[in-house]
This record gives sequence, structure tokens and C-alpha cells, in this order.
Amino acid sequence: MDHAVPQKKEVLNVKGLSAGYGPMRVIHDLDLIVYSGERVGLVGLNGHGKSSLFLGIAGLTGWQRGSIKLNGVEVGRTRSQGPGRYTHQVVRQGLALIPQGDEIFTGLTVEEHLDSGAFTPRAWRERAERKEHVLKIFPPLRKLMKTAVGRLSGGERRMVSIGRGLMAEASLFLVDEPSLGLAPKIGKGVLDALMSVELGQSAMIIAEQNVALLEGRVDRVIGMHVGKLKGEASASLTFQTRREH
Amino acid sequence: MNWSFVIANAITLACIYGTLAIGISITWSSLGLINMAYGFIFALSGYGAWLAAQYISANGFVVMGAGILTGAIGGMLVCALAFIPIHDKPNFTVRGMIATLAVSLVGNQALLWYFGPRAKSLPPLFGSSQTSIFGVVMTADKIGAVVSSVVLLSAVLLWMRSSRRGLEIRAMMMNPHAAAIVGIGVRRTGFYVMALTGGLAGLASVLLSQTYYVGPFSGITPMVKGLSVALCGGLGSVFGAVIAAALLGINEAMTSVVFGGQYVLITQFALIILILLIRPRGIAGILDKAREA
Repeated sequence: MDHAVPQKKEVLNVKGLSAGYGPMRVIHDLDLIVYSGERVGLVGLNGHGKSSLFLGIAGLTGWQRGSIKLNGVEVGRTRSQGPGRYTHQVVRQGLALIPQGDEIFTGLTVEEHLDSGAFTPRAWRERAERKEHVLKIFPPLRKLMKTAVGRLSGGERRMVSIGRGLMAEASLFLVDEPSLGLAPKIGKGVLDALMSVELGQSAMIIAEQNVALLEGRVDRVIGMHVGKLKGEASASLTFQTRREH
Repeated sequence: MNWSFVIANAITLACIYGTLAIGISITWSSLGLINMAYGFIFALSGYGAWLAAQYISANGFVVMGAGILTGAIGGMLVCALAFIPIHDKPNFTVRGMIATLAVSLVGNQALLWYFGPRAKSLPPLFGSSQTSIFGVVMTADKIGAVVSSVVLLSAVLLWMRSSRRGLEIRAMMMNPHAAAIVGIGVRRTGFYVMALTGGLAGLASVLLSQTYYVGPFSGITPMVKGLSVALCGGLGSVFGAVIAAALLGINEAMTSVVFGGQYVLITQFALIILILLIRPRGIAGILDKAREA
């Protein structure tokens, strides 16, 4: 490479992804490319496949087919059952999924919880520094480290859930509805924290209902409608329908 | 009535049943599998210990180690046969029960075919001395049973608290879906869990064989008791299982003294039904501090 500026590379390249649950098809032949250093907003109505897209990338939908390349490595497959059977392989390739509704381990302490997010051997070795890093982003967690997560408030749980995702040695962060179910002020704080995460060579997709919260703070916004990506706009939210290329 | 005898028996039984129940409880809550082959693993490890005593050495540590090792291997065998092929198919709970039951039936018959119906007895592992603790006369095998099960269970629980694999198992016990999300592989953890719980069954088998015999079907009753202790304590709770084991151990020892041994199962199930009528989620329902997700 002849220039010092890091090359913009494809972190995620999804081609022809279809996914669903049983007889129901939720994602319809979806294509999506996300580049390194990008923060992408994914907006759309409830039940139009935002979460399913994330779960599909992680291999957690009921069935799926189509190509998913994570850092150039193929992690997509055609399967008719077995949700989660291959998820650990996808995670090892550098995916951190921060699921909707937290999906926390109620009995673990905050500290154990963060540890559980450090899945790859390297992340596990560096977990002390990584925890420090997460605590810098979410200072309120510092004094809760020994508390069982089941006893935390909704906002604190969300912080733990996001922190667990940030512990991973990931190049793609999928954040599903970070402000869901939180008081507006707290939701905004959580989103501010997400925006403050330095991405470096990694990328982040944030699914969000509240478009105003994303305005001007993500690199582009993609709309999702009935299982397909519908429009793309820069962060200024001047929506234009993208022509097929 | 000889109270010290009752107390000594109650403690010993509580330790052995607790070991079994914790194994069943961990399997259920982390893998969602009711392991009906637990009795088979129990009997198999009894034979493993017996073979070691016959052909290697009758040293207590060797026999116990062989029992635990056979149990762990048996657990992994059950995992490979009855968990790996079906764990992500629909209706896994029922299928898993049927599959492990099938493994249990086939395995028990295989043991019967290979070793014959005659019961084997293990050599005494802990000698035959007697000591008196606070006026309670404890024979060496009872002390050995209590000490070894407490030591091994504490080691297992400590390992689950402090190690990375233990963290993975506990994470899976609390939320399997989230465990998949953070990258914990269900199949690999399945092998860990089954080897661990199989080892616990092996320990219980060796300890119980100090009083009873090793036979092809010797695992059935302990499994039923272990399962009911686990249910009574609240499936998935280790601490609940310990309390339930203590209660049922006292009950069993008391019943055999007051009414006679043949009434043990009757009073035991009456007690379990009573507890589950009052606390449908088992004893652990009281202990559960963290609210549900």
C-alpha cells in the first residue's frame, strides 16, 4: 500500500440473504455492504425485519440462505434449522450482536457479564483492559461490578448489554434498538455513549425507531421495509430512493 | 430410637443424593435436557470402579477415580448419542427425554448382557474404623462419603464460579439464547456439562456402592431419587438442590427407622408433592433474588 491512510474495506458484504422462521419469510433477497469505520443507521417500522436481519447475520433465525461475508470470510450458509448452531463461528470472525431487549444472564454479576462477552482468546486475555474501556464509556457500571444483573434498572441493563458487546474483539457491531423501552433521557445517554465508541477499522449498524436520535450522527441511514432495504440517505436525512445499480 | 444413627445416615444420604441432584439440575438448566440415562451412567461407573478394583488396584483413590472417570466418559457418550444429533431440532425437550431413555434402556441391557445379573460389590474404600463426632457414631465409609462428596462438589462449584468454562456453563444455564449470541458453542459446552455431571454420577455411584451393590439396574432408584430431589429443590438451582437433598436425606433416614425401609419412597414422594404444592417452583423459588428477565 502506498498511502498511509487506512484503506476503506468491506467489513460486511451481504448478498441475496433470505431468512425467516418456519414457513414465514422475513428477509427477502437482501444485499448490504458496510465499510470499515462506518456508522450506519437502520430505520424502519416494527416487524419489518431489522432484528431478523441482525439475527440472520448471526445465524440465529429459524432458517436462512445467501452469502454473508464478514471481513471477506464467508459466514453465510443455507440451512433449514439449527438456529445458533454456527453462531460461535460467526462471533469468532468478528461479530458482536447487541440484541434487542438485552438478553442478559440474570444471575451473573456485571463483571462476569462483561467477561462473558470477551469470547475470542485474545479478547479474553485482554479482558481487564477491555473492561476498563467499557467502564470509561459507561461510568455508572463501575460501582455495580459485583451486583447481579437481574437487580439492575432497565437503563443499567442496557449498558451492561452494550458493554458485553463492546468487550468482544469485533469488527462489526450490530446494535438492535438501543433506546427501546428506556426513558427518553436515558435512551439518549445510551445512544451518546454508542456514538462515542471509536470504531477504527470496525463498523457499527444501529437499528433504531427514533430517527431523530440518529440525525446527523451516523454516516448513512438505510430504510427497511417488508424485509428489504428501501432507501439510503446520508445522515442529513434527505431521503432519496436509491436506483438499482 | 438411635438418634445418632439416624443423623449419620441422613447426612450421608443427603450428600449422595445432593451430588446426583446437582448433576441433574445442571444438565437440565444448561442443556434443557432431562437426562434419563443418568441411571445408566451411574451403573456404568459402578462397573468401571469394580473393574478397576479387580484388575488395577483396590486402593480407594484408584477405585473412586475410575468411577468418576467412567462416569465422565459415560456422560460424553450420552451427549454424543442423545444430545448432539437432536439438540436443535424442534421439540427437543421431549425428544431428548426419549433419546436418553433409549440410551438408558440399551445401556442397561448391555451391562446385563456383558456383566451378568449377579451384583458386584466394591471393596471398602475408606477402611472400617469408627469415630464419634459430637456423640454421633460415624463409620469410616460414612465419613468418607460425606467428605469426598463435599470436597468434590465444592471443587466443582468453585470451578464453575471461577473458570472460563464455568462461566460459559452458568451463562448457558441462565439464558441459552444470549449465550449463543456471545459465541458460546452449545455443542462444546454440552460435552463439558455432560462430562462434569457424569463424573458427579460416578462419584455418587462409588459412594452408594459402599452400602449397596453394583448391578446393571442399580442406577434406576438413585436416578429417580436424584431427579425428585432436583425437582424439589427447583430445577436449575444448585443451592436449592442442596437444601432439598438435606430434607429428603433426613426423611429417608427417619422413615427407615420409624416405619421401615420399604416405606421410604412413599414418604419421600409425599414430602415432594407437599413441597411442590406449596412452592411449585421448588425450594429455590424462595431463594431467587434476581427478578426474571
